[in-house]
Amino acid sequence: MQKLKHLILFLIMISPGLALAQSKKTFTISGTIKDNASGETLPGATVSFLELPGKGVTTNAYGFYSIAIAEGEYTMLTSYTGYFTDTLKLRLTKNILTNVSLKTSSGQLGEVKIRSTSSRSNNILTSPAGVQMLSIKDIANVPVLLGEKDILKTIQLLPGIVSAGDGNSGFFVRGGSADQNLILLDEATVYNPSHVLGFFSVFNSDAIKDISIYKGGMPANYGGRLSSVEDIRMNDGNNQKFGASGGIGLIASRFTAQGPLWDHRGSFIVSARRSYADLFTGMSSDTTIKHSKIYFYDVNLKSNYQIDDNNRLFLSGYFGKDVMNFKHDEGLDYGNATGTLRWNHIFNAKLFSNTSLIYSNYTYNVNFDDNTDVIKVSSAITDYHLKQNFNYYLNTANKLNFGFESTYHITQPGAAVSAASSNFNNISLQKKHSLESALYLSNEWNASDQLKITYGVRLSELVVLGPGHFYTYDKDGNKTDSTDYARGKIVKSYFTPEPRFAASYQLNNNSSVKLSYDRNVQNIHLLSNSPFISATIIYLPSSNNIKPEIADQASLGYYHTFRENGYEFSSEIYYKNLQNQIDYRNGANLAGNEYVEADLLYGSGRAYGWETYIKKKSGKFTGWLSYTLSRTERKIPGINNGHYYPATQDQTNHLSLVGMYQAGKKWTFSANFVYNTGNAVTWPSEKFAVDGATVYYYGGRNSSRLPAYNRLDIGATLLAKKTAKYESSWDFSIYNVYGQSNPSDIIFRNDPKNANKTQAVQTTFFKMVPSVTYNFKF
Amino acid sequence: MKALSLIIISIICILLWSSCQKVITPPLAGSSPQLVIIGTVSDTTGPYHVKISNTVSFYADNIYPNVSGASVTITDQTTGISDVLTETSAGTYTTHTLTGRPGDTYQLQVLLNGKTYRSSSTMPYPVPLDSITFDYAVKNKIQPVVYFQDPTGFTNYYKLAIQVNGTNLKRFEAIDDRLSNSKYIHAHLEIDTGIIKRNDLVNVSLVGVEKNAYQFLQEAENVAFNNDNLAAPATPTSNISGGCLGYFSAQTVSSKKRIVK
Repeated sequence: MQKLKHLILFLIMISPGLALAQSKKTFTISGTIKDNASGETLPGATVSFLELPGKGVTTNAYGFYSIAIAEGEYTMLTSYTGYFTDTLKLRLTKNILTNVSLKTSSGQLGEVKIRSTSSRSNNILTSPAGVQMLSIKDIANVPVLLGEKDILKTIQLLPGIVSAGDGNSGFFVRGGSADQNLILLDEATVYNPSHVLGFFSVFNSDAIKDISIYKGGMPANYGGRLSSVEDIRMNDGNNQKFGASGGIGLIASRFTAQGPLWDHRGSFIVSARRSYADLFTGMSSDTTIKHSKIYFYDVNLKSNYQIDDNNRLFLSGYFGKDVMNFKHDEGLDYGNATGTLRWNHIFNAKLFSNTSLIYSNYTYNVNFDDNTDVIKVSSAITDYHLKQNFNYYLNTANKLNFGFESTYHITQPGAAVSAASSNFNNISLQKKHSLESALYLSNEWNASDQLKITYGVRLSELVVLGPGHFYTYDKDGNKTDSTDYARGKIVKSYFTPEPRFAASYQLNNNSSVKLSYDRNVQNIHLLSNSPFISATIIYLPSSNNIKPEIADQASLGYYHTFRENGYEFSSEIYYKNLQNQIDYRNGANLAGNEYVEADLLYGSGRAYGWETYIKKKSGKFTGWLSYTLSRTERKIPGINNGHYYPATQDQTNHLSLVGMYQAGKKWTFSANFVYNTGNAVTWPSEKFAVDGATVYYYGGRNSSRLPAYNRLDIGATLLAKKTAKYESSWDFSIYNVYGQSNPSDIIFRNDPKNANKTQAVQTTFFKMVPSVTYNFKF
Repeated sequence: MKALSLIIISIICILLWSSCQKVITPPLAGSSPQLVIIGTVSDTTGPYHVKISNTVSFYADNIYPNVSGASVTITDQTTGISDVLTETSAGTYTTHTLTGRPGDTYQLQVLLNGKTYRSSSTMPYPVPLDSITFDYAVKNKIQPVVYFQDPTGFTNYYKLAIQVNGTNLKRFEAIDDRLSNSKYIHAHLEIDTGIIKRNDLVNVSLVGVEKNAYQFLQEAENVAFNNDNLAAPATPTSNISGGCLGYFSAQTVSSKKRIVK
């Protein structure tokens, strides 16, 4: 604690404008903002005062706010998208606790009422550059594959965030690779956010409250990935009354129950989904189909208990699994499991603390059938994570955020078990151990009514730990040395300071400019053997060979709202410099390879782009248009003669158009269109024969392009019944309406019909997928 | 109800990857023809051959122009005997007296248009193929199964090749004992459906190769048959220096013949 006090004092001293603020007699108003019907806390709600234009505060992740203002009489306005603004007259003569419950503005999903009270509450103008926050309500009507509302699919329609393609789980943010996104579910890292290789995300929309997306200007409390943070929060559960909701679809169904516990002092929510395509496959006459098993399920659980006004506990967990077996036991299965125990403690009106103990695991098993035996290859990553965060509401102008975190990572890059009669020996690649820690502090300084600056630093350290043999390699990947380390011995440590800076300047009531700079460091690296469906995936921590990846990003944006906030427009440019990027040596072999680090090459990279976004927020017709022009390149000695080459995820143009139309009380129609330049791929240019087989000659890494991707989806929602007690609706959607064959896989091979020819064959997974889902709620 | 079942079926088809495939002709990066040299010396009776050709572009016919006029020499460095090969047909260069012996190191030298291409390869000690059988489990797909003991104490690299009624199949498999050292190997050979029929005479060769040749063959096999599932598809790395494609291998061959019943 003593150290923390020093830190705070230090921050106070460096905090500009403080002396001024301290000279007046001020009191603190603090409290929690909730939904009045469900008791769910509302993160990101705004508290402001009619008498103090330009002063305001938004609630933190737990709905808590605190603001210090001068003694006096005020009209306090509490507002949140989709809710009626609450107005409260108050006389401030001492520190007061004011909890506010907001009433939802409409029963209709997705409809956003314009707030006439104050344009200051429009956070697009004041939030840092590169940040976007979406609640589940915002995505309710966007059509998606198989009718499942999906928060991760929807964010791929926003500028700067692009899908990795059909049948691929990943997405790319501002030129980063799929493993450079930090995806958090109640603070726990979710390593693979997808079900059925990308059909669905693992986030069941019934269990999710909201998502905050950071493409740049990451607050100092986040770290560990280069490109983005997707911070997803689960619902806490209704603490007012019991309720249930669910949906019955063609592929999967879901069910959620929630309600109060312990005399409304707590609540719970349980949400589960399962697909049931496998029930039909068993009926097939085709033996391959009959013996195939394809299903997934997931369960979200959360409970919280309000011990007293100053203490609250939350326990949340996620467990999900995918199984895809093609014949008998051949196939793959994988799943994430996370658990988070949190303790919110309010020390006083100014100091809010959260302590989290977090567990996260991702396991990936591949079962190969070598005709005599099934060989199971497992890889896994497990994290034990402690995080302590403080929000200190120093005064009107300064809000401090500081804390520390430490994660112990254990990765299993691959272990195989096979029978004695098998062709293969058992393999157990060494488990890898590392400890990743960070100390961070930042200050959100409202320098003036117009200027808001957030600055801070994150000091991160990775310690590579024994036990294990650690190899060193020469530049050609030949093993030169090996050293044994005992359990707990430090092999190598990397310390990196990560400065963070974000400023927004409000030009007038309708427009602002924002500037940000941030550095991020990444110590967990994903290797996979295919841009498409991958049979081999390996997580490796930084090591004596792999250095932490580092990204420095600067971005600048202009934001404008017009027609009384009915429209918003933004335009941002960014430039990113990347260090210690990883790519594969030609012909790299990842499977069961103890020396896999010898197959890696390291270099630098750069990514830059321009993003523009226009959104219509109100009226019967809502929607947005997003366009990104970007480039992302790598420069790695040993690849393409050390010249810059496009990274796989380099998509020059990316356009998405989303429209939703409310036709009367019952029907809502929606459509979205996506177009992007194809990914950069490595394709052959020449061919030759080796022992009769046609072998290809490749000119250079990523020198060709997939065909451009485009697709139109349409959807309709029919509100069938809506009474106080029961609500039901039908979702109809068609994914890829005009049946565009977008590639999910391309192979070069001999023409089976003409021995004299070779051909390129494209596989398309999703050619027009219709779906119907029945949703209910009571 | 019929429509609904149609939808369900179509979705299941998608789930089971029985999705749509089509031939496409995407533009490919241009390049110029590359020189390909493939040569072997084995422990079976000679003569041995070195074949020199050029690559053709991906969309051209699989007819590879032969390259004549090279001066090709193979030297047994262990015994010091050199054999200057004769171009017996366009692009095919043949040895005269050379005999392959396990343990000997052979050096290939090709002089062509003022450039020299060199490689050397040491013949490994032979590993005998025990037997072959056939697996009829998959309909229309008779799969040869090979049996052999991988020796302890050595790192072994193999190529497996199949002949049906005297004709070489246009594929091969490269395997090593990295994950199966000293195991008794019983491996199913990859083969296309309908290639082997009843009463065919099938000859399987277990070819012992050395590491550098294996690396080329293994990369070549991946590129030929698995090019959509590689971390970094690339031209296989030749074990011949001087800037050409192909490989040179001093190798042992053990074959078994059997008629499919």
